[in-house]
Amino acid sequence: MTVALEATGVAKHFGGTPALADAAIRVRAGTVHALLGGNGSGKSTLIKCLAGVYTADAGSVSIRGGILDAAELTPRQAHAAGLRFVHQDLGLFDGLTIGENFALDDGFPTNPLGGIRWRALHERVAGLLELYGIAAGPETPVGSLRPATKTLVAIARALQDQEGSEFILLLDEPTASLPDAESRALMDSLRQRANAGQTIVLVSHRLPEILGVADDFTVFRDGRVAASLESANPSEDELVSLMTGRAAVRQARNEPAASGAVVLDVRGLVAGPLDGLHLSVSEGEIVGVAGLLGSGRSTLLNAVFGSQRPLSGTVTLAGEDITGRPIGDVMQRGVGLVPESRLRDAAFASMSVRENASAAVLRSYFSGWMRRRAERADTHELIRRFAVKAPSSEAHLSTLSGGNQQKLILARWLRRDPRLLLLDEPTQGVDAGARADIHRTIRGYAAQGRAVLVASSDFTELAQLCDRVVVLHRGRAAMSVSGVDLNADRLTELVQKEGVIA
Amino acid sequence: MTAATSASTAAAAGKPSTHRFSVLHAAERYALVGLVLAVAIFFTVLPDSAETFPTVANLRILAANQAVTVLLALAVLLPLVAGHFDFSVGAVAASSSVVCAGLMQDERAPLTLAMLAALGVGLVVGLANGIAVAYLQVNAFVSTLAVATLLGGFIQWYTGGQAISNHIASSLVRFGSGTWAGAPRPIVIVAVVALVGWYVLSHTPFGRALYAVGENARAAKLVGIPTRGYTLIAFAGAGVIASIAGIVLTARTAGATADNGTTMLFPALAAVFLGATAIRPGRFNVWGTVFGVALVAISVSGLTLAGAADWVEPVFNGSALAVAVGLSSYLRRRALSGAA
Repeated sequence: MTVALEATGVAKHFGGTPALADAAIRVRAGTVHALLGGNGSGKSTLIKCLAGVYTADAGSVSIRGGILDAAELTPRQAHAAGLRFVHQDLGLFDGLTIGENFALDDGFPTNPLGGIRWRALHERVAGLLELYGIAAGPETPVGSLRPATKTLVAIARALQDQEGSEFILLLDEPTASLPDAESRALMDSLRQRANAGQTIVLVSHRLPEILGVADDFTVFRDGRVAASLESANPSEDELVSLMTGRAAVRQARNEPAASGAVVLDVRGLVAGPLDGLHLSVSEGEIVGVAGLLGSGRSTLLNAVFGSQRPLSGTVTLAGEDITGRPIGDVMQRGVGLVPESRLRDAAFASMSVRENASAAVLRSYFSGWMRRRAERADTHELIRRFAVKAPSSEAHLSTLSGGNQQKLILARWLRRDPRLLLLDEPTQGVDAGARADIHRTIRGYAAQGRAVLVASSDFTELAQLCDRVVVLHRGRAAMSVSGVDLNADRLTELVQKEGVIA
Repeated sequence: MTAATSASTAAAAGKPSTHRFSVLHAAERYALVGLVLAVAIFFTVLPDSAETFPTVANLRILAANQAVTVLLALAVLLPLVAGHFDFSVGAVAASSSVVCAGLMQDERAPLTLAMLAALGVGLVVGLANGIAVAYLQVNAFVSTLAVATLLGGFIQWYTGGQAISNHIASSLVRFGSGTWAGAPRPIVIVAVVALVGWYVLSHTPFGRALYAVGENARAAKLVGIPTRGYTLIAFAGAGVIASIAGIVLTARTAGATADNGTTMLFPALAAVFLGATAIRPGRFNVWGTVFGVALVAISVSGLTLAGAADWVEPVFNGSALAVAVGLSSYLRRRALSGAA
């Protein structure tokens, strides 16, 4: 069998951190090739390097025998060489028809006057839809399709200009937001395309479904190839151990989980993807929430904080029912939330560091007049206490680095001394130094007898930070891990294998 | 640490420092004030206007004539701080003026009642705007424009295209044309509204929260700010201030016309955007707005006295609005990119 795509020695650094050290992949023509790895293992980085979105530091790429320098690969070259990418966000326009979506990618066929030849377009698209087994017409609006069909439309669109099956299709997490049945339907279609000769590279988190469809496997760990298996039939456990390695030893945490009074008690919570979730957090305890994308991690925090109204279930804070209460009220009772997206949900970018720091305690500075001097003094104190690097208290928040902005947002809440602190991806997009500072701050805070609930997609973070981690599956806390069992590998294993545990 | 010493140390260190910008910042903050003074001096020296421009009488007329514009600018400022346009303030002022004068002429209503009715018009329209924008999530740009058009129709219907000028309370007319200690009386109203606006926006938690809503409404909600309620209050405040402007307009002109108020809106908008380039650059603010009005008013007055034609005023207003919007969005972009 011929090799369709081969990349070797690909390296990529972000700042001083290597994302890819010596990555390689060898994809045989007409196969489904699974690219696997934990969070931060570099699999998405490799895909982006191949797409020319990131410029690799070094490496070479050979596509059907043509050799390209990975460090000089442009999106145009990648396209010309026959690489086609479908990203997790499919890039379809829901309000337009399938035909229009195809044409926006490849151009509208036009008559000599520049008008669109709709019939020609629709005939061509109808043919492609039939080829891909999509039960919809070219005039069907994309928004009305089921999720798996949408993904197939995106795939057909990406491959629309190939004559045989000479292109190489790379799918980045195509099933991350699909329900089980939908993703199985998609996998079946992919298998059929591969049997017809299409070369497919698949990046995914869901091991069970990949095992059924992939021919070859490349497993990444820490930016390197941990294993590459050709025509293999590995078990799920084998893959998980390849992804996690054996070396990762969890940092020992001496103090046992505190067994104080229950601060937060969630019973039968139904909201978004959550379906009858039970959970409780005690004084002095840091509880983590792990789960796949779309498993309801953020929904849980928002339902507790009052920023999302649950359909049913109760949220009790220190014995008081706070279900569905407004945010201001929940804050008053001692809850704080550091939201997932700093830019979208927390930052007042062109307001000063001082104004950002005091956004949640404005009234405390009012005595007929905003006491700006006291506010400035307190801001300086917070900057010092939380080791925020800021030019001054009057500098715009946007002049701070991401890590320092995040520290300041954390300080905004900690100064209120909430009895329950909710953290959603507390160190996303934060450099290693700031991350360590933030973790230290959170642990110190819990040690004062406060309850902390952390949602994170970073299992290393959860393992380092938490006393106990609950794994979300099908809208419930499927299991809880603590003590010696609590390490990133075990969490990866539990979350990846969620499909078979239930 | 003074700005001068920090500027020299930063220059000596040879690397950018935020302190070095503080001198530039001060210059930028007061550039608009300087420009107002420069224009005033220019027309004082310019032979064509030197005789009439720098006289007490001219300055008094200028100030009194601009009272309505300043009030409208302060009205439109409130929703803008919360991140929304309000194009209806001109029409609210015109309607309030028509209601105030109309009740006195047609119903022989006492002045107090006429004024209360005018304020009521502003409050009701402001609340309606606020409910539409904050609770029904309607685009303010379009909905306030619709309200303005609707009010224009109301004015046409009520006045039948005729000016209202009979039985206007004499105390109101005296207020409109008289002076206190040499200052035109309407200026006192303007000063009170500006001071209250400044206090509320700069020195209360509500004002700070309103800026936060305008900056990032989602984040504001997640720090416990009742974003919808505050947005409603901003629109209601805009309506009430606009109707105060309407009453002052009635006092100044001793009646009301069938004008729909659109011509009053744009100088006010220009002033608010000009104001966002000064005092607190990148942020809509009260004193910047006042200087914005002053710049436009003094320039137009000087040009008129120097013999420029009638069309100069709208051209100047339009250019000022365009330049102001461009400059203030540039400042905002720069603030976001972190260069400030």
